[in-house]
Parts: sequence; C-alpha cells; structure tokens
Amino acid sequence: MYSLPDGRDDVYGRGMNKDTNSCSVCGQPLGENGRCRRCEEATRVWTVRDWRPMLTLGLVIVLGFSFTRLVVGGYDERRNALAEEYYAAGVKALDAQHSAEAVDALENALVYSHGNFQYELKLTDALLASGASTEAMAQLHAFLEQRPGDAQVNLKLARLEARRNHVEDAWRYYQAAIGGAWPELNDPFEQRIDVRFEEAEYLVRQSRTEMAEAALVALAEVLPESSAEQQRLGELFLSNGDAGRALKAYEAALDSCGVAKGGFADGPVGGRSPKPIFSEGEIRNARCQAAVLGTARAELASANYGGARRYLLEIKGVNAEARTLLAQLERMDVLDPFAEESSAQVRARRTVAVFQIAIGRLARCGVPFAQALKGTGRGEDGREAARWSGLARWAEQLTPLMDERKLRGHDDVIESTMRFAFQAEMTAQKDCGNAALDDEALLLLARKRLGVDQ
Amino acid sequence: MKPLSEGTRERLLKLMATPVRRKYFESLRRMLGPAGLVSIREEQFFLVLAIAIGILAGLSVVLFRIAIQSARLWLLGSAMHPSALRVMLVPAAVGLVIAVVAVRFIPRVRGSGVNQTKGALYIYDGHIAASTVVGKFVLSALAIGSGQSLGPEDPALQIGAGLASGVGRWLKLSKERMRLMVPVGAAAGLAAAFNAPITAVLFVIEEVIGRWSAGALGAVVLSAISSVVVERWFLGNEPLFRVPLYHLENAGELVAYAVLGVLGGVASLVFVKTIKNLRPWLRQLPEWSQYLQPAVAGVLIGFIAIWYPQVMGAGYEWMNLAMHNRFPWEMLGILAGVKLLSTVLSFGSGSPGGLFAPVLFMGAMLGGFVATLEQQLFPAMAVPVGAYALVGMGALFAGILRAPMTSGFMILEVSGNYSIILPVILCNTISYAISRGFQEVPLFDLLSRQDGLDLPSLEEEPEQPTLCVEDAMQPSVVRPLAGDETIAAAREVVSGSVGEHFLVTLGEGRWSVLSREALMAAEDEAAPVRVLLRGRVPRLYQDQSLDVALRFLKDRPMLPVVDRGNLDRLMGVVSIADILGVYRRAGLAEPETVEVS
Repeated sequence: MYSLPDGRDDVYGRGMNKDTNSCSVCGQPLGENGRCRRCEEATRVWTVRDWRPMLTLGLVIVLGFSFTRLVVGGYDERRNALAEEYYAAGVKALDAQHSAEAVDALENALVYSHGNFQYELKLTDALLASGASTEAMAQLHAFLEQRPGDAQVNLKLARLEARRNHVEDAWRYYQAAIGGAWPELNDPFEQRIDVRFEEAEYLVRQSRTEMAEAALVALAEVLPESSAEQQRLGELFLSNGDAGRALKAYEAALDSCGVAKGGFADGPVGGRSPKPIFSEGEIRNARCQAAVLGTARAELASANYGGARRYLLEIKGVNAEARTLLAQLERMDVLDPFAEESSAQVRARRTVAVFQIAIGRLARCGVPFAQALKGTGRGEDGREAARWSGLARWAEQLTPLMDERKLRGHDDVIESTMRFAFQAEMTAQKDCGNAALDDEALLLLARKRLGVDQ
Repeated sequence: MKPLSEGTRERLLKLMATPVRRKYFESLRRMLGPAGLVSIREEQFFLVLAIAIGILAGLSVVLFRIAIQSARLWLLGSAMHPSALRVMLVPAAVGLVIAVVAVRFIPRVRGSGVNQTKGALYIYDGHIAASTVVGKFVLSALAIGSGQSLGPEDPALQIGAGLASGVGRWLKLSKERMRLMVPVGAAAGLAAAFNAPITAVLFVIEEVIGRWSAGALGAVVLSAISSVVVERWFLGNEPLFRVPLYHLENAGELVAYAVLGVLGGVASLVFVKTIKNLRPWLRQLPEWSQYLQPAVAGVLIGFIAIWYPQVMGAGYEWMNLAMHNRFPWEMLGILAGVKLLSTVLSFGSGSPGGLFAPVLFMGAMLGGFVATLEQQLFPAMAVPVGAYALVGMGALFAGILRAPMTSGFMILEVSGNYSIILPVILCNTISYAISRGFQEVPLFDLLSRQDGLDLPSLEEEPEQPTLCVEDAMQPSVVRPLAGDETIAAAREVVSGSVGEHFLVTLGEGRWSVLSREALMAAEDEAAPVRVLLRGRVPRLYQDQSLDVALRFLKDRPMLPVVDRGNLDRLMGVVSIADILGVYRRAGLAEPETVEVS
C-alpha cells in the first residue's frame, strides 16, 4: 500500500516514482543538470518511417470500435427487452385499473427506453388514471411544444380538457387531433374517424347542439357509406335532434346489411302483409337489428310513423325495444281523438282520457296544483315556476269541461285540451324524466300534430 | 530515423542498379525523409493525435457508462425502486470490496479524479499510471452502480486523461507535449460523459489547467469534439435533459430566480463546509477504519434509500422527472437535502466517483422546490418548473464547483435554449458570490490542499496585466546611424554620447547594431558604415510582450522598437536591463503559505 511518511494515503502516486535519476516520461537517465536530454531534444519530426506506432494506434481505434459496438449492441438488446417488459406490465396494470402500479412500470420502461414517445404517452394515460392530472397536463404541454402537430398529444389534451369541462379548449384540441399527424403504424384515416366520433359524442353530451351538428356533418362527409359506423352516426344525429340526417345514416347502415330501404307508409296496403325485409337468419344479426331499430326511431323522430311501424314489425319478435315502440304507436292510435273515422263520441272519450293522462303525469312530477298556482312549486328559477303555474291554471280551466257530453261537438275545446296535454307531457319530459307508455304515446301524438320540432 | 537493415539495404541497392531507378529512389528518399512532403512536425502531429485521443476517450466513456448501468442492473436490479434488502446490503457490501482494493492496492483511484488529474499535470509531468485508469474504471462503475451517491463525469475525466497519458508515453512524446496530453484527454473524457463539448473544454481550462493556455486550446477542443461524436454515434443524440421551451414572460420571475440563487449559495456553502470538515476527520481515524468507511457510508445511504431511493447513483432519471413536475414541493426539498447528505457520506468516505451529477441533482431539486412552492403561493402564475430546475443546477454548479463560466455554458448547451440566459446569469452570480464570500478556497483546491498539494487555480490567481515592450522601451539618446553615411560622419554623431552600441538603419525596415569599438577602429573614414556591420537584428513593436522581446534579444545589447506603420521610424530601444527593470517594478505579492482555509 502506498503511504507517505506522514501517514497520508499516496493518492497522487508520489511514492511511485522512486527512481529520481531517470526521466518520468521516457525513463532515460537524467543529465547532470537534472533534465532529460532526450525529451528536450530538437522538436521531433514524424515521418512515414514512424508508421508502426501510427498503424498500431489506428488498429487500436478500429478494434476499440468493434469491441464497443459488440458491447453496446448486447446492452441495447438487454435494455430494449427490459423496456418492453416494463411497458407490457404497465399497459396490463393500466387495463386492470391499477394506475399506481402502471405509473411505476411505465417510468421504469422509460428508464430503459429514454425518450420513447409512445411510452411517454402511455405514461400520461397512467398519470391521468391515477389522478395526477397536473403532472399529466404538464407533460402533455411539454410534448405539444416539441410536437405541435402531433395528433396523439392533441387528443390526450382534448380528453383532459373534456374531463375538466373546458368545452372550447377540448374542441380546439380535438380539431388539432383530427388534422394532426398520426403514426403510420395505425391507419391514420381510421384514427381520424374515431376522433371525430369521440368529439361529436362529447359535444352531444355537453348539449352543444350547433357544434355537435357541425362535427357530425363533417363526419358524415368523410365516413364511407358502407361503413359499419353509419349506425353510430345515426344515433348521434338522433341524439342531437337531427332526425333527417339520422335517417340517412341509418339507411346507409341498412344498405350495408343488404336490407331494402323504406317500408309501407301507414301500415299494409290493400290488406296485403308487408313483404319481410329479413330472412329468418338475418333477423337474428344484432347489428342489422340495431340498424333497423335505429331507422325506426329516426322515422319516429321525423313523425313518419308508418315507416317506423314497418321496420318495428320486422324485428318485434326478437327485440324488446321494438315491441315497446310498437306498443306506443298502437297506444297513440288508441288515444288520438283526431284519427280518421273517429266519431264525436270517440273523440270526446279519447280527449277525456288524454286529459286524465296528462294530469296524472303532472301529479307524478310532484307538482300539487295549489303550489303551482302560488308559484312555489318545483323549479328554482322564476321562469320554470311560471311555466308550471301556467299549466296548472290551464288545467283548472279545462277540468270543468272534461265531460264526454260537454265535449261532443266542441272540437275547439278538444283541440285546446290536446294542446294542454301535449304541453304538459313535453314539460314533464324535460323536467321529470322517464314517462309511462301512455305518456310516450301522447308525445308521439304531439309530434305528429305539432311537427317534428316539438 | 532508424538505420536500414542489411537485407533491406541489399534489396534497395539491387533496385537502384539502373540510373533511372536510382533517380527515382533518390526522389522518393527525399520525399519520405525528415524534410519531405509526408513528414510532419510534432506540433502538427499533436493535433492529429488529439483527435485519436478523443476517439479513444469517447470509446472508453461509452464502455464506462455501460459498465455503470450493467453494474446497477446486476447489483440493484432493473426497477427504479429496488427492494429494501438490496438497498441496505448492496452499497455496504460493494463499499467494502471497493475500500479493500482502493486502500490496499490503488489509492490513486479514490476521490473524484479532477484534482488527481490536475496533480498529474503539474507535479508528475502528465504521468497517470495505467493501473489508475483501469482501477478508476472498474471501481467507479461498481461504486456508482451499487448506489453510492456519486456521478460518472469526474472519473470519466480522469480515465480520459489517463488514456492520453498512456498514449503519450507509448509514443515517447516530448515533456512539453506530455503535459498537454492530460488536459486533452481530460476534456475528451468529460465531454463524452456529459455529452457537452463546450462545457468540457471550459471546465478543463477552469479547473484542470487552472489558467488560460492558448497553446492547449486547439487540441483540447478537437479531442472534446471527436469524443462527443463517438459517444453520440453509439448512444444517440438524446440530450441529457428534455427541458420545455422557456420564455421569460414576466420580469417578476427574476425575483424568484434571485431567491433560488441565494438558496443555491447557502446549499453550496453547507456542502463544501461539510466536506471540508468531514474528510480530514475521517482520514485521521485509525487505518483499519479506512477499509470500513465506504461500507458504513453504504449502510447509511441504504437506510436513506429505503424511503428515498432517488439518492442512489447519479440520479439523472429523477432529475428528468423533477423537471416535468412529478414531485410535490415538499418532496423536492427533502430530496435536495438527503442527496446532499448522501453525497457527503459517499465522497467523504473515499469512494471513487464524481461530484458533477450529485451537484446537478441537488440543483435540480432545489430549483424545482422553489418553482413548485411559487406555484402554491401564486396559483395564477404559470411557473416553468423545468426551467427553474435547470437554473438551479447551474446555481449549485457555480456555488460548489466554482466554475461560473462552465456552469453558464453548461445550462445553455444542455437546454439549447438561449432565452434562459438571463436567469442563469443572475442565479449563478448570486450563488457564486455567496459561496465565495464565505468560503474562500474552491472545493477542488480545498481537496488538493488537504492532500498537501498547492496547485494553480484560475480563481485564486491574481490578474496581472501583460507587460509589453512599451513598458520597457527607452528613448534613443543618439539618432540612428544610416547605413550609407560615412564612418567619419558617424563618428561625429556618436562623439557626444556615452553609449557603447548604436542602432543603424539600412532602409526598408532593416536594422542593425554597431559597437563604438568597431566604429572607432575602422581605418577608412570614407567608407559607409554598412561595411562594419555583422548582420541585421530583429525589430520589435510596442504591443509585443516582454517574453517575445527577451526571446529576440538573446545576447544582443539592444533592439530597435519601430512603428508598425513605418518600419523605418524608431520609437525607442530595448535592452535586457530595461526589461529586468520593468519586472522589478511590477513585482507580484509574495505567495501565501499553503493553508487549508
């Protein structure tokens, strides 16, 4: 062990150079003046004759490169394997909703695959899932600065802003994601379609009707007619209140099922049974059933009840919702005082029934008439209270007239009663949610009588 | 040139048998000879060698980094959070092994390597033993990989310097070139380890060479660049830190940066003072304890790492997370503190490894701490945590390592964002000023002095103005004689003066000196003065340094100082006595005794 006389470690190697009579550089004996003559000779000139050291140095460099390449290659393989292993574990944990575990695993993956963008994106998903939205946001904004046109980053930011209910910001990021650069590995066209759907669904959920409409129209323009997503498009149009475009989308969905469009208006003609749309095997195809049901609903929303009935009849045997809708249509027929060939007596009877149904609906909403009259009923703002009190007063005015004998021949009262019933049902639908069969039937009748905008 | 062997001579003679062939070989011999076209002088060869050193150093640093990562994988496993058992046992066990090897066999591998390299440069003519290089490589990789709180950059500097030293010895370079090899290799090693050539060059000048040396600059830059090229070829171009783009939005942010500078200065002081007191205390313990100190440090670090595994190793992955706002402010503050403690333990116990990475870690955490605290206090402000972390690194670097130029350029080179320059300068200046105000001796010089060495320091070297010819020149008492004037006329000119030598102008900027003795001894008075001259003398200019003047003077009695715009116009004369007089008047202060303060 090297140590100095005073006991300190010889960390500078002072004890090494024990021979003080030879040069520490070349090893030659020192001169009388204590200097090395060889090292202080005239500047050395290198020539081609000194090729051996140069060649050796070159060979050492080449060998060094080769050896390092081998070592680095081996280490890279190990590192990549570890990164993939941790990434897979992270994705699995994220799918299993173990977000903290996913964050750990993905951070480990990034240690071995530094700067891997896909891993970093997945990490932001894990951070979001674990509730670390501030960190995820910071990371995403950092990505955005480096890659402003990256669609995946914009999409994640859109989702983040959507969660925070910043609709305008979310819409902006969705638009950037739709127009941004997608990785070529996944089909960019399909990715953009998916994002359009997501954007539209979000806007519909947020009741941003105009923005949603614009998004849906843009989507309809790029979605191939043969696409299986036409049905989904139709549902969105329907949810957004655009029955006409919803119908077109559903019809395209029906086409892709190989089903003929259209049905008979207002039921069978001339006593003939309508020709079945499906064969026995097709009818059990869930996608086609859904397309038919959607078309029927779009027809209902457009007040084309005959066409709706046509489609509902086809699948009533295998679809419960179709049976329910058909029941509503049939009930509507029963309740409609203005149906063709209804006698005055029938009209009056139906009107009284409708009035009772409407009053019952109001009562189930929890609005005592006395309270509504006083303006202290349901509703937190004055306008809503006024609407309820208006309905209550109207009902008070009509109640004495609700007698079959009094109603016969008084179509104006019948008309007013029907309008009251429609108004009551529509108000109750907005404020009180789900309705019974009779109420749904009345709503269908209202749409038929008052137009599809109701 | 070596003489030819007998067989070679015979073959050559046969080949040269005909006149044509003889002529051909004669030409070839001239071309390949010492003054031929394919010969190069050593200083030119040195630049080529610098590139080769850079390549070799780059390769060695690549292998070194992989060795550290492989050691980490082997010893602590692949997870960022190793198990508690490994964390407790591995640093201690490896510390014991390292201590036995380092203390018993290769003591020169202990410490960071920076002041050891400087010592090799100034004391041992650039000699670094091969065992030091190999030992540093292996033991540092083990120490850092096992979780000691140390970094790879300083050892890479020493490894690069050692490689260069070995190559220089093998090629039998001159002593002067051997001394230059050390900074060349050091810059190459550091540049590859840090992936920052400019930073490496500046650091080597500031800390290793310790003075501005234009002679070494070219070779140092070449080697740094070539090593970085090699390193990036193998390990990619990814920057060490991915920092978000930064813009100074609000001048009020500078207040926060100033606060960071103050905190950085205080943290620097705490760190340096602790090492200053701990290291000698540990060294004075009984000799057998030297074998246990790294192991004990390992146990303590392991204990800390159970809760804060971030303190283990260099910690670059954690710095990146801090920059991306992944830790709350409390955690950042704690990490800065525990890392300081861990690094003091690792370094003070003598484990081989560097201080760069731990210093950057502490700075990043401190900067992040200030930023996240600011976010808490002023939620409406958008605080760029990454920028604060980066500036914090610079502040600690400037305060602890006391390399202000290096720290500033390092931030710019690592971030690639010049808009951060203002906060960097502000923060670094404050941190540096506080550190220097309360701790006069910089850290690396402190360590050298604790080891009994007095090495030059750029910070401590007083700035002296360069003395030039203008300071020494005297007016000429007698007008210059003309080469064409007669000896008789010349005698008349000099008759009234007492000088022994006189300047003679020959026109077109040529000058000579004539002694009185030779002038008076001439027989033909009608002959021109020119006939008495024994050759020309070089001329000087006022702005040239006295070093240059002395080299030209040699044993001449005087030299003319002329106007650069008119070479025949005499401005004054300079002699050896004049030059010595200037140096006496401009004497430096007496050097201080070597004190560790």
